[in-house]
Amino acid sequence: MPCAGDLHETRNEPKQGHAPCDKDMTGRMAQNVTFDPTDHAIVEQLRLNGRATNQQIAECLGLTATTVSSRIKRLEESDQMRVVAVSDFSAHGFDFLMKLAIEVDGRPASEVAAEIAELPEVFATHLVTGRYDIDALVALRDFDDLSPLLLDKVSKIRGIRAMIPSIVVDIVKYQFDVAPIETKA
Amino acid sequence: MSKLQLDELDLQLIQALAQDARVSNRKIATELGVTEGTVRGRIKRLQQDGLIAFTAISSFEMAEKSRLAFISAQADVERVRDIAQEIGELPLINAVMITMGQFNILAMCLFHELDDLVEIASDKILALPGVHHVETSIAVKTVKYNARMAKITHKQADQD
Repeated sequence: MPCAGDLHETRNEPKQGHAPCDKDMTGRMAQNVTFDPTDHAIVEQLRLNGRATNQQIAECLGLTATTVSSRIKRLEESDQMRVVAVSDFSAHGFDFLMKLAIEVDGRPASEVAAEIAELPEVFATHLVTGRYDIDALVALRDFDDLSPLLLDKVSKIRGIRAMIPSIVVDIVKYQFDVAPIETKA
Repeated sequence: MSKLQLDELDLQLIQALAQDARVSNRKIATELGVTEGTVRGRIKRLQQDGLIAFTAISSFEMAEKSRLAFISAQADVERVRDIAQEIGELPLINAVMITMGQFNILAMCLFHELDDLVEIASDKILALPGVHHVETSIAVKTVKYNARMAKITHKQADQD
């Protein structure tokens, strides 16, 4: 039974409030970080509730809060995990989603993809195999934003031969718990 | 979805918590120049409205699922909602959308071995009653990816 569901603790006071001064972990960890079942169990608890306190997680897993704290710190510092707030599309007023499949001609697809990715309306861009070269996911506030985006922005990017839109009429599911982890500033 | 009015402070809170969800209410309150009670109340409301959820995102390396594929399917129009729901319940499927276009379902799948993708797309999805055609395309390079935006389907219980 997932433990995070029945926690009624009131305060969320993560230990990171004031930075600990142990400097030995400041350098980036080696690329090959290994994970044991304890790491995975902690991540699982955080998936259920990212704001669970170290103490709550510790009690669920039969660990000490110190262990939980140092494990989380290690995973974050090695850029293997982030604990974040994920917000719903509607929180940003995005009522109109679309996938654009793009066919590239006469220019490297990665260059075209990089330009597409710069557009703020585009929230995902991938180079893909198959009939098309680039798949981009676009979020707009309403239908009126479509024509400026397609006609004034995307169409101006050199190397786009064709765009094939699929309009999203319902999102049944959209939640990624695995992603490229950006390096912390 | 009905229009929920979010103000500037809500959006600032969302932004701060999107960077690090484990920061204390006190620290956010100081940064945004409001009281701790305001931060607590706002977070609670955003959670109750299903607008934010706190979760862990792990690296491809840690999750051992390193590839993304788009699976497009043509499904019976009258059953498309049910079929989309069924696809969403399959393992490794992270996103399912009903679309208008050449295909009426677009799913996204995170996988490790090519065999996993074949199993999902060709064995599971294609075998669903009402699914007629499936096409997959594998992302060979990710240029942009925002895991901070999602469709929140399960409201997280608030903490108080």
